[in-house]
Amino acid sequence: MRTTLAIAATLIATAAHAETFTWAGNTDPQTMDPHAVNSAPVLGFLNNVYEGLVRRGKDMTIEPALATSWEPIGDGEGWRFILRQGVKFHGGQEFTAEDVIFSYERASSEQADTSSWFAPVSEVNMVDDYTVDILTTAPNPIFPDSIANWMIMDAGWAAENGAERPAKDAENYATLNANGTAAFQLVERQPGLKTVLEPFAEWWGDAEHNITRTEFTPIQNSATAVAALLSGDVDMINPVPIQDAGRIASRDGVKVIQGIEARVIMLGFPHQAAELKYGADAGQPNPFADAKVRQAVAHAVNVPAILQTIMRGNAEAASQLVSPAMRGYSSGLAERPAYDVEGAKALLAEAGYADGFSFGLKCPNDRYLNDEAVCQAITGMLAQIGLKAELDAMPVRNYWPELREDNFDMYLLGWSPGTFDAEHPIRFLASTPNEEKKLGSWNFGDYSNARVDELLPMIQSEIDDAKRQGMLDEVTQILQEETAYVPLYVQPLVWGAQENIELTQRPDDFFILRWVTVN
Amino acid sequence: MLAYIIRRVFQSLVVLLVVGLVAFSMFRFVGDPIDNMLGQERTQADVERLRTQLGLDQPFPVQYYKFLEQAVQGNFGISYRQSRPVSEIIAERAPATLELAAVSGLFALGLGIGLGVFTAIRRDGIASNLIMSLSLVGVSLPTFLIGILLIYVFSVELDWLPSFGRGETVAVGGWTTGFLTPSGLKALILPAITLGLYQMTLIMRLVRSEMLEVLRQDYIRFARARGLREKSVNFRHALKNTLVPVITVTGLQLGAIIAFAIITETVFQWPGVGLLFINAIQFVDIPVMAAYLMLISVMFVGINLIVDLLYFAIDPRLRIDGRH
Repeated sequence: MRTTLAIAATLIATAAHAETFTWAGNTDPQTMDPHAVNSAPVLGFLNNVYEGLVRRGKDMTIEPALATSWEPIGDGEGWRFILRQGVKFHGGQEFTAEDVIFSYERASSEQADTSSWFAPVSEVNMVDDYTVDILTTAPNPIFPDSIANWMIMDAGWAAENGAERPAKDAENYATLNANGTAAFQLVERQPGLKTVLEPFAEWWGDAEHNITRTEFTPIQNSATAVAALLSGDVDMINPVPIQDAGRIASRDGVKVIQGIEARVIMLGFPHQAAELKYGADAGQPNPFADAKVRQAVAHAVNVPAILQTIMRGNAEAASQLVSPAMRGYSSGLAERPAYDVEGAKALLAEAGYADGFSFGLKCPNDRYLNDEAVCQAITGMLAQIGLKAELDAMPVRNYWPELREDNFDMYLLGWSPGTFDAEHPIRFLASTPNEEKKLGSWNFGDYSNARVDELLPMIQSEIDDAKRQGMLDEVTQILQEETAYVPLYVQPLVWGAQENIELTQRPDDFFILRWVTVN
Repeated sequence: MLAYIIRRVFQSLVVLLVVGLVAFSMFRFVGDPIDNMLGQERTQADVERLRTQLGLDQPFPVQYYKFLEQAVQGNFGISYRQSRPVSEIIAERAPATLELAAVSGLFALGLGIGLGVFTAIRRDGIASNLIMSLSLVGVSLPTFLIGILLIYVFSVELDWLPSFGRGETVAVGGWTTGFLTPSGLKALILPAITLGLYQMTLIMRLVRSEMLEVLRQDYIRFARARGLREKSVNFRHALKNTLVPVITVTGLQLGAIIAFAIITETVFQWPGVGLLFINAIQFVDIPVMAAYLMLISVMFVGINLIVDLLYFAIDPRLRIDGRH
């Protein structure tokens, strides 16, 4: 009997050891507060700890989480959510409609970075303990899609610990502690060092994973992260530097998992600027105001070559502002301008720039995958049609202020739609900038088209899917015809893991622990 | 003597204030912290509100004055990135850096003196020539390359030592130490070698040339002539006289080890203040950058002050000159 017990104990001990999962990312989530920061590292990590009313599945579709069902109210006045009963927070508190109301107030407060998600919301009402009505100012068909990262916090827990509001310039209990309802609970948090999660025994769902404990460590230096994976010190790393992917894939015991991200990389132009600002032709009239010149640029950039050499075949060419994985993608407009040097030269000649001109290209060097290398390649390609780009690459912390001050003749931008819907980039990149209506806040080049501006509110409130898609297609067509931006490619997603790890890679680069199995 | 000390302390304070002023005038060139603090869906109004809230809309001398006002009360503000008090974060990270610096300092001093003496005594041996040539590698290879090389050899290929981090640590009071666990000790080896290698070669070459100099002196020749044992001549008479400059250099290098741990810490993901500083630069976390720079300059100024005072105490010639 004793031997059996001892053997059983050993088995359990080894099994438990095998299921401890360690992983490394290049960024430490800066806070455990789900409403304080609207950034992918934070929201991605906290998706394992907190849950929203709805969540995204493996293929990014919306599925029930803390709400079991939802339906539009009346004629598009809002949405009614029926909440799941018997759900417990990690601290043991019961989940009710009160927590939803509290989390709405918290996430939409001025101190929260997530308040833009609730811009269309006029009122949130508690109907009973397990029913909540969210009223919107206009019909909003994609509202449930837009709140997948809105995480619910326990009202009582927040009040007890003085964390009713997120804070940026003060200490807050919720910065280091968490109390969600999701499959994993926070056990230990040492910022910048390690964060330990363990499965939550009373979670309402069925666990698909076999993890008993997980440890997250940030490793900033990519060479160190690769070494940690190869030496078996960690089970998974995200991201893998593209140039190391082949080397890792060829080693025994480790594998590379590839996919494409939601982020589209594109070139932007000054549409309203009167003059060029950089290069030998500074002070000359701005040629990029002419659609023909922008088209010439689109034809001159050899995207397949960029993908082949700089992205090592890991990325996909893009034709519009969103990737095919997004809702509202215009599948009929998937063709992008062909690489055609002669055609580009002809377009330039037509526009009156047969001899080309020189200008300044602004580029970040630490924001997107191999961003500076991509800009260098583009500089070389544009030179073939006589456009001499003066490349100025800088860290992203200097980059946004430069763009906001209109200090560019052409710039590189990546956009990942937070709602995973084609409406998102139209609102932020293609609308005429309007501070009051919160439109076009990332439209640095001041692109403006009356029809696009007219269509956006109609798209936002159209309930009928076919009609909505028709309008999205119209916008895409306008943007393509006018070459408002030159979409280049969809950024790849490359993770590395030990051979015995099964996991699911989601296009939003969120790493969801409940889909991990350790074999 | 007292007047000398007061003058030096006063000079040190001026240096500190100037360092702070230069640092604050540079921060706006590092970038704009607001962009990192707010997500892509922020509006211009959010940006302006946060800028005012953090006092970033004010000219830098005003920001500097406010920092000083708080700092003299021991309050270094709240980190933009972590939303926690900077003093708490630095106190959390300091043990990692100090332990690493101490171990690599001892490594540099011990091995540096040992090899220095060896190569001086056997100046024409094959072993010393080999050591001297290898030491050139130590001074000329950049730190991050040595670190990555060590990781690939000892973690990836041989799998003897961990590739990153501090291993398990034990908290003793408010101090986390890696000295008390096997994994903590193992984790120290590679970063300590990486960080100490340059200092080690420096000390070795210094000891060697000082030794060679001293061994030519008359009193060494007389000692030999008196029939003293070789060991006694080399270590009691020669080495002792080479140590004054060695100790001076080591003292100054200790500051450098702590300040330049940044690269080693980044390569090994060593959770010390250097890594914290790199993060702070990337995020434009001004309160953390300011506190770190002030701390490092206090340390350098402090070490220099102590060295100056020690000279004054040790070297009688300085005192006589001082009276003129």
